[in-house]
Parts: sequence; C-alpha cells; structure tokens
Amino acid sequence: MAELLQQVVIGLSSGAIYALLALALVLIHRATGVVNFAQGEMAMFSAYVAWQLVQWGSPYWVAFGGTLVLSFAGGLLLQRVVMRPVENAPVLTIVIVTLGLLLVFNGLATWLWSGEVRTFPPNRPFPTRTFDIGGVVINVQDLGIIAVTVLLVAGLWAFFRFTKAGLALRAAALYPESSRLVGIRVGWMLGVGWGLAAALGAVSGMFTAAAFPPLEPTMMQAVLIYAFAAAVFGGIDSPLGAVVGGLTLGVFLNLVGTYADDLQDLGFPVDLEGLRLPVAFVFILVLLVARPQGLFGRASARRV
Amino acid sequence: MRRTGVLFGVIGVFAAALALALPAAHGRETADPGITRTSILIGGTTPLSGVASAYASVARGAEAYFKYVNARGGVNGRKITYKYLDDQYNASITVQQTRQLVQQDQVFAIFNSLGTEHNLAIRDYLNSIRVPQIFAATGARTFGADFRKYPWTIGYQPSYTGETAIYGRWIQKNKKNARIAILYQNDDYGKELINGLRKGLGPMSSRIVMTQGYEVTATDIQSQIARLKTSGANTFMIFATPRYSIQSFIYANRLGWKPQIFVNSVASASNLMEIASDAGNNRRVKGTMSIQFLKDPTDSTRWAGDAGMKLYRQVMKKYLPRGNANDVFHVYSMASAFSFVEALRKAGKNPTRSGVMAALAKLDSKKNPFLIPGVTVKTGRADRFPIEQVQLTRWTVNRKGDGRWVRFGPLQRMPS
Repeated sequence: MAELLQQVVIGLSSGAIYALLALALVLIHRATGVVNFAQGEMAMFSAYVAWQLVQWGSPYWVAFGGTLVLSFAGGLLLQRVVMRPVENAPVLTIVIVTLGLLLVFNGLATWLWSGEVRTFPPNRPFPTRTFDIGGVVINVQDLGIIAVTVLLVAGLWAFFRFTKAGLALRAAALYPESSRLVGIRVGWMLGVGWGLAAALGAVSGMFTAAAFPPLEPTMMQAVLIYAFAAAVFGGIDSPLGAVVGGLTLGVFLNLVGTYADDLQDLGFPVDLEGLRLPVAFVFILVLLVARPQGLFGRASARRV
Repeated sequence: MRRTGVLFGVIGVFAAALALALPAAHGRETADPGITRTSILIGGTTPLSGVASAYASVARGAEAYFKYVNARGGVNGRKITYKYLDDQYNASITVQQTRQLVQQDQVFAIFNSLGTEHNLAIRDYLNSIRVPQIFAATGARTFGADFRKYPWTIGYQPSYTGETAIYGRWIQKNKKNARIAILYQNDDYGKELINGLRKGLGPMSSRIVMTQGYEVTATDIQSQIARLKTSGANTFMIFATPRYSIQSFIYANRLGWKPQIFVNSVASASNLMEIASDAGNNRRVKGTMSIQFLKDPTDSTRWAGDAGMKLYRQVMKKYLPRGNANDVFHVYSMASAFSFVEALRKAGKNPTRSGVMAALAKLDSKKNPFLIPGVTVKTGRADRFPIEQVQLTRWTVNRKGDGRWVRFGPLQRMPS
C-alpha cells in the first residue's frame, strides 16, 4: 500500500510539471487561437535566463521575478515581430512558424550557454526537505510546485472570468472583427496573450529545472509532449482541464510504468515499461474518441 | 520499415557504384582519397546539439590536439584536418553525414564518431567500401570483438562488458552480503552493462534483486528509483547516461535510500558528480564507485606537476580557450587523437588506408600522456581493444565538502 501511495505521490509531482506547461499552452490557445509548439523551448530559454541572472549574483527570487518580466516582454515582442505577419495565414503556416521558433530557441540556448548540463537553482524555490508519512516520502518542493500550479489556475480562471482585460483577451481571440468595432486593440491583446503565456512558461521552465534536474537545452522536449497530451485531455481551452489532465496523466503513466512487470506476470502480453509514451497517447486517443471536446472542454455546436 | 529498407538499399547500391567509379574517374588507383603529401583529411560525427550535446567535447578536444600537432609540423609533413559534423545523436543523420564525408569530402578515414547505435549504423557501409572506422567512441564490445567480420573498424575505450564485470568481481570479493538493484537505459548499451555485471558476479548473479529500465524519452526516473528502493537492495548500479544518472543520485537522496552506489564511467565525469552532489547537500554521492582510465582534470592536486596534464592545459588554453578544461571528455578525445597520430606515424611515410589499419592492429604504447600511468594502448593479431586496463575509483569528500575521485587498488586488466 505504501508503495502504491508513494508512486501516486511521485505521479502527482511529475503531473504538476506537465500541468504547468499545459497551462501555458492553454493560455496561448485561448488568448490567440494558436497552438504554440515552441512553448517548451521558450520555457527552457527562460530557465536559462534565470540561471544566468543567478550566476551574475542575483538572489533566487529576484531572478525569478526578473525572468517573469523579461519573458513577458519577450513573448509580447515575439508576437509583434514574428507572429503578426502570419496572423491571418492558414493554420498550417502558423504551426510551421512555431515549429521554426522551437528550433531557433533550442539553437540559441545551445549557442549561448553550450550543451553542458548545469545545476539550477543553486538556492532553490522551495526547501528540498522531505518528510515521511507511514513509509511514503513527501517532498516539500513538490508540494510547493503543486500549490503554485493550483494558485495559477485559480488566478487564470479569475482573470478570464472577472477582469475586463481577460474578457478583452478572449474576445480578441474569438471575434477579432467585432472586438475591433467595440474598441479593443486586437493586435495588442494578442501580444499580451503571448506575453502572459511566455511568463507562465517561464515558471514551468524554472520549476522543471528544479524538479527534473539538470538544466540543459533539451530538458523541456519530453515535457512538452506530455503537456500537450494533458492540455488536449483537459479540453485545450480549459485551465482547470489542463491541470486535472496533467495530474491524471502523471499518476496514470507512473502506475503503468511501475506495475508493468506485475501486469506481465498476470498474463498481459506486452511489457509496458518502455511504452509509457505510446500508452499515454492511446489513452488520449480513446478519450478523444469518446469525448472529442476533452474532459472540460465545451462541445462546439453549429446550427445547420 | 520495409519501405525504408528498400530506400536504403537503393541508396547503398548507388553509393557503392559511385565509390567504385570515383577512383577510376580520378585516375588514383594507387593513393587513397583524403591524403596528399602535405595533408590528411579525416572526418566524423558527434552530437553538437540535441540530447547528447554534452559529448561535443569528444570532437573538440581531438580537434584542438590535431591543431597542436599541426603547429609542430604535423605527421611526416602532413597537416591533419579533422572535419566533424553534428548528427544530433540521431543515427539516421549519422549515416547520411558519414556518406557525405566519404563521398563528397573524400575523407581518408572516419575517426572518433560517437555513439553505439550511431557507429553500428555506419559499420557495414564503411567496411563494404573499405574506409577505416577508427576509434569509434563507444564502449560496446562488438567494436573490438567482431574485427574478423569488420576488419576496417576499431574502437578505443574499455568495453562496457569489461567495466561492469570489474564491479561484479569486486562485489564477489568484498561485499558478500550484496543485494543489487540496477537502473539501466533500455537499449543495447544498458543491456550490455547488465550482461557484463552478471559475468563478473558469477555465482552471485542471483543477488541482483531488481532491475528497472528507462527510455530516453523519459522526463524523469523518480518512479523507477522508488521501485528499486522497495527491493531492499543495499547496492545500486546506475547504468545510465549523464542526465538520468544525476537524477538517480538526487532522487535516491530524496527518498532516503542509502545503498552503496556504482556509476558507469560514461556518466561519472567529475563535473557531473558535482552537479549530483547538489553543492554538498547530497550525501548519497559520497563513496560512489566507478572506474577510471583517464587523468581527471579536476584532480589538480594529484596531477599538479604532471607533464601530460600540463600539455593538456596548454593545448586547451591555446586551441580551445572557450572549452571547459575541467571536462574529462576533452581528455578522452586528446588521448584518442594522440593514439591516432601514433598509428599514423607507424604506418610509414606514405600511409594507405590498409597501412593505417595494419598499424592500428599492432599498437603498443605506454606513452599516451592523457591516460593514467601504467595504462598501455595495446592491440594485436587477435586483440582489437586498445584500452583494457582500468582502476577502481571512489568519490571522496573532504571536510569542506569538495569531492573528487580517488583511485584505489591495482590497475586491472579487464576480461574482454
């Protein structure tokens, strides 16, 4: 029993990391209608920026805040300079542009900081202390990451639900023409959407470097795949869905991996241990067939 | 799968035809491509970007050493040019780039290409067109063992099988109560390490109480470590590449598991151990065992007056000033470059491809300044494992919390 609980706890802590990046994907999709494949690499780049700030002598939380601001500005700039020209282009063009950004950020990080692995952060966001409850080891750091994730979801939900800016962001993404007519500066709203997503991604990057060490240019690539799965699972537009999706996926995959041997002993024909990634996608596929809009998404209906 | 097979087949036939046609077209039946009276061109692939970009130093160190040799007149008046391409640790790119190096650049030999699967992917091709594949940067045993089938191929570093057999032998002798848990990369490399360990353990093989694999697509290996901990093992083998070995140390510590740890030498570089030590916070790292055959650049006290390490620092400073001189992979690649230069000298005033392969089959040198004293680079008629001696080493931490590898016991010849 303790072992099962331990694996659930570990699954939750991995899941929180997937959820954070999934949140950024959801945010950008909701605010600009774009699926951003570069989100992971942007997050990795932000983590390097934070590392560099710490390296230059800044205390951790100052670097953390500074990175959020820089990432916001960077995201905004990226939308204004790179995405704007293709704003009205077909979806495929936009996807290709974000894929291009993925390569650019990866190359840039490798060029600036080399591929060498690093420790980050030297003074970390949360204490690394652990405590033991009946044989289940719980990490203070994981609790901190889960807490921040939950806070961010609540914040995002409130932002989109109760603030004028949130409403304007949603309107600009859904109905750009009408928004313009009521005086919303659609272009800037899209920029702000990118900025917010980049800042959220920065949190995910910095926490990933702490939870899945070490810091290196490829650290977000696998995370991005799981984050996509989590976002789609939850319904690509729902922040709450992204978090529930991330945590569920984390726990599910962990249990699959852990008990693969036992399943095999019970007569299951394949060893699932090495197949976590495919299993994740089969899981998503089944869900999408049953419920195309995702767990928390709204079904889109059209009058005919 | 089938379609790629056909495609590769077509490319292969085309390439072979091209390779056969070229020498005739250039009228160069006698001299091999890539070599003139003043130059020799060799090529290889290394991940400069992507998941394994930490291994970029395996190319850069060798390049720096060749520049040093060139500045002192080269080898028999020939300057060595080493052209390495970035394969991103992707074997299909390795294949494509190796063909490019052979067909377009007309290299004399492929040298120091990195990775087990990557070298396997080009071995048939290079042997079919008789282009030397020199000092493949991998410890897979097949590169030394199967020379009869692949006479144009030779590896360099100690084999993975031999390495873990040494751990097994040590346990047999010194830790009779061992209960062993293994984390391994789920591929040929990881499985070879397990096989070697079984060999060394002999009758104690039954003491392996649990093995857990991971895929290179994994974000983290927390669940594997938690599982291994429940096995109640008191000995933990990390058969993993750097990223996952660092995670192993960190997660074992977080879970409060305190086994005797062994870490395979591809992930035991001092700078990685320091990252795993988490600025002294992680006590699990202390006492970890591994093997060494290279001089460790971080161990400045041990090598303070050593001529080899002085040369190493001098080459780094002059030809690779941006590189991290504490990165032991630079030492590895200079050792490999040094042995290549030795073989080239041995092959005579006008080396041919087959002449160099013959020289590589009778290496016998104690002079390599980058290897720990006593290690002989030696090959023979039935021995294509250039480095077969290693020493056990233990990560030792001083009062200030600084760690370093301290070698102990005799230099051991590994079972091949």
